[in-house]
Amino acid sequence: MGLITPLYDMLWYEYLVWSLLVGGFTFGWLYHHTFFYRSEEGIDNNVDNLEVGVFPVHYDNLKLEVAWTILPFFLIVYLAYISWEPLDNIWSAANAEDGYFGDECLAGEASNLYWDDSDGVYKADCYHVIGITGFQWSWEFDCYDLEEDLCAHGVVNIEGNDKPHLMLKADSAYLTVMTSTDVTHAPWFVSHGVKEDIHYGKISSQWVLADDVEDFLLICTEYCGDNHAYMIAGISVHA
Amino acid sequence: MERKALITRSMVAMILLSIAMIFSPAVNSLPGGIGGDTIQNAGCNCHNSFPNSDVVPSLEGLPAEYNVSETYAVVISFTGGPPEGGVNAGGFNLWASGGEFSIVDATVQARSPGEVTHTEAGNDYREWSLEWTAPSHGRDVDFILHVNSVNGDDGNGGGLDEWNRLDLAVAGSLGPGLEQADPYKVLGTLIIISVVLLAATILYGFYRVNPDNFDWEHLAPWIVDWLTSTDHKKVGTLYFIASLFFLGIGGIMAMMIRIQLAAPGMDFISQDQYNQFFTLHGTTMIFLAAMPMINGFANWIVPLQIGAPDLALPRINALSFWLQPFAALLIFTGVFTGQGADTGWTGYAPYVVSDGAHTGVTMWVAGQIMLVASSTLTGINFLTTMAVMRAEGMGWMQMPLFTWSILVANLMLFLSIPAFGVGLIQVYLDRTISTAFYDMGAGGDPLLWSHLFWYFGHPEVYVVIVPAFGVISEVLATSARRSVFGYRSMVYAMAGIGVVSFIVYGHHMFTSGMSPSLRFVTMLTTMLVAVPTGIKIFNWLKTMHGGSLVYRTHTLWALGFLVTFTLGGISGMFFPSIAMDTHLHETYFVVAHFHYVLVGGTVFGFFSAIYYWYPKMTGRMMDERLGTLHFLTAFVSYNGIFWPMHRLGVVGMARRQHTYFITTEDFNALPEWAADWNLFISVSAFLFFFSNFIMIANMLISLVRGQKAPADPWGGWSFEWMTSSPPPTPSFGHFDGEKWHDLPVLRDANEHIANEPSALGTWFNRLMVPENEEEASH
Repeated sequence: MGLITPLYDMLWYEYLVWSLLVGGFTFGWLYHHTFFYRSEEGIDNNVDNLEVGVFPVHYDNLKLEVAWTILPFFLIVYLAYISWEPLDNIWSAANAEDGYFGDECLAGEASNLYWDDSDGVYKADCYHVIGITGFQWSWEFDCYDLEEDLCAHGVVNIEGNDKPHLMLKADSAYLTVMTSTDVTHAPWFVSHGVKEDIHYGKISSQWVLADDVEDFLLICTEYCGDNHAYMIAGISVHA
Repeated sequence: MERKALITRSMVAMILLSIAMIFSPAVNSLPGGIGGDTIQNAGCNCHNSFPNSDVVPSLEGLPAEYNVSETYAVVISFTGGPPEGGVNAGGFNLWASGGEFSIVDATVQARSPGEVTHTEAGNDYREWSLEWTAPSHGRDVDFILHVNSVNGDDGNGGGLDEWNRLDLAVAGSLGPGLEQADPYKVLGTLIIISVVLLAATILYGFYRVNPDNFDWEHLAPWIVDWLTSTDHKKVGTLYFIASLFFLGIGGIMAMMIRIQLAAPGMDFISQDQYNQFFTLHGTTMIFLAAMPMINGFANWIVPLQIGAPDLALPRINALSFWLQPFAALLIFTGVFTGQGADTGWTGYAPYVVSDGAHTGVTMWVAGQIMLVASSTLTGINFLTTMAVMRAEGMGWMQMPLFTWSILVANLMLFLSIPAFGVGLIQVYLDRTISTAFYDMGAGGDPLLWSHLFWYFGHPEVYVVIVPAFGVISEVLATSARRSVFGYRSMVYAMAGIGVVSFIVYGHHMFTSGMSPSLRFVTMLTTMLVAVPTGIKIFNWLKTMHGGSLVYRTHTLWALGFLVTFTLGGISGMFFPSIAMDTHLHETYFVVAHFHYVLVGGTVFGFFSAIYYWYPKMTGRMMDERLGTLHFLTAFVSYNGIFWPMHRLGVVGMARRQHTYFITTEDFNALPEWAADWNLFISVSAFLFFFSNFIMIANMLISLVRGQKAPADPWGGWSFEWMTSSPPPTPSFGHFDGEKWHDLPVLRDANEHIANEPSALGTWFNRLMVPENEEEASH
């Protein structure tokens, strides 16, 4: 099972594989030694002649120690390197020549978000801008001048309670412009795997890459007081 | 005479300080309006300060005794107060301790399943309708209704507005005797039981001192001796008792959290209580359980390991300890009023200074300021002791690894905790005398707190794990009957972790809006932590190579540590990759990771230490069969708790949430199996909690019936195994009024390098050692 979006899947699987290799190596070594080098019952085989009040003989091997300093270091450099591309994608600059999502869409222009399998990133022709404001303990969405098909908001009943509802169009890239009117919150678009803190008096933003048709919850993931757990909203991505 | 005058002056200063504290506005009075828990306790004060009996609230439609899960139509109304007319006529807030409200029209909105209020449209009415579905548990439900009678003007707070409150109880179908247990009462009862058990244990300890000549008259001098002792061994024991006690209290709070999360939509504790419990669980476990446990061993073992008669500053040491119980009282003060700190152990601004945060936060902050003072004094004390009191022949690079780990931990703590202290004082001043460090409207910066907190917070988690590294190095080497592999690279790796810890803290703030370039830099530095940590793990494994591993309970815990800490280390590698962290941040994947390193690392490491050094401390061997039983039950149930949490985090379960949502026809949320796994986790949590009582029982039973321990039961090399078990006071040598005599001298099996101080060592000695050149020669 992958990590929510195709964007992180490659990373996730690669990290899992390395975790298994490192874990397998370490645990194999551990289990072998715990079994193979156990003492005979009742025999104290004092291998290095440990003696009270005497600093024991040095037992080391420079080559081995350098090896398990350098090799993990290379692995880490590699893991940092492969982490770069998805990060570049979710941190893509807006309105930039080399951004992945072009400029803001003109009226009537379609975003055309798609998954570029060869590059392993999302790309779009242009993006729409929507606003999100968080407050204790609910959300307010703002579609600005977007057509209703691209963005609409209302109220929806979630498990017996009225919660804010945001409706977006599939295959579209959205740039959210976000702020808070009181304490810090963080909208987590669970199915898109993105979240970013919002602060009072500051503007933050994140890319919401609505690719698939689905309905899911937006959850607050920065602790904000009593009803933090119920600070949710419904997100519906329609065709 | 001079001394007398000094005491008088300090007493006057203390009295003045106490008076100042009484008069300082330590609690906020909050204009809460209709909303939140403020009105629950203090009444609605947005429409005049006091309730008015002219206003008569009414709550109709509720039965005297409800049927389980049945839905009732409820009508809220009131009469009296200012005459009706104009745009605004009234408002209400209704809270229920159980069941769920559902909305039938646009005049009413829900705050949470258990709390409703009017909407803006509902402001024009004096009667509202809604539905209430009774809970399934069948216990009594309390309702609290507040109504406002508004005089029709356009704004709130008009002088003519009046309000009143109605309390109503609906009996459950189980009958009136079976009301739901109040979690505060459960917590309070369990704390009282713990205190009583602790007191009984202490009294039994008193009885055991001299069973043949027992007399109550000896009790007061015996207790005074403990309370005023500056002996490092006694202070260490006090640290242990405090630590194990708070480990229990933190555990009880964890159990209440787990009952709440056992199934989705539970209402065992309200979200308000839940928030306090997870805050205090974190604060208690880190500051009142883990740190005192480490300090307990540091107190006991470090002077013994370096051959010192006591710590360099014994009275400072006693002060460090005695700050802690009082800090704990402050930290918990809020809970006893129902207003405990509810900010999370991170206490993020601006929530921590906002009106919504509980009043207990002020006390919680004050308590932590005392802990900062305690830790700073401890740091000074241990660094001084290690610098000037090592035995003859023991250079820096001949110190036992546990002592090295305490050195590194205290250096980290000493350099990082002032930042935390500064932040806490800012928050304290913001909350008491309304300074504006975190008032965003006045230009405060929410990220300032995050930076100050994590600049301390990240080194802090290494402060609690590095001493466990020290323990494992001692235990594994002794159990394998080998010299530890790569002693020098072990020291450098610990020092490396200590240095790197200061430049990685930004990884807690990957989604905070911190500068992207800074985030990227901390991504790289964070990944680097894996290098020294990896060196340590591989060195431990290599230590066993060619050894002769003797299986004792402490060996089992050390091997268990290797398993769980490695798993925690591997899961830690997923977070520095910022793209993945954007999804994983603030989920149960994080909860799983830090419990794998803090419980699987620190706690397992110190369980190992308890079994390893208990014979030295008490002179009695522990029971190996009970020890093995403890290891097996605790290790299995522990993994049952935290392993499934990884998956729950990946599929979208957020931490610090009172409940979780399962996928419905309308919206995707957690899959159905998430509820099953949560139940499994809760059951495992109870098993883990109770399995640790096996160790407590073992400690107590062994104290009485355990075999007498020899000086060196496991065959270790360092000085603590040279003295008797338990050690005498002073621990080594004797003092003739001028000089110490008969202190131990360390020999070195590696004679060729023993007396060659390195360039760094020479420089360090010059820096730290007193004027007397002769003493500086080691």
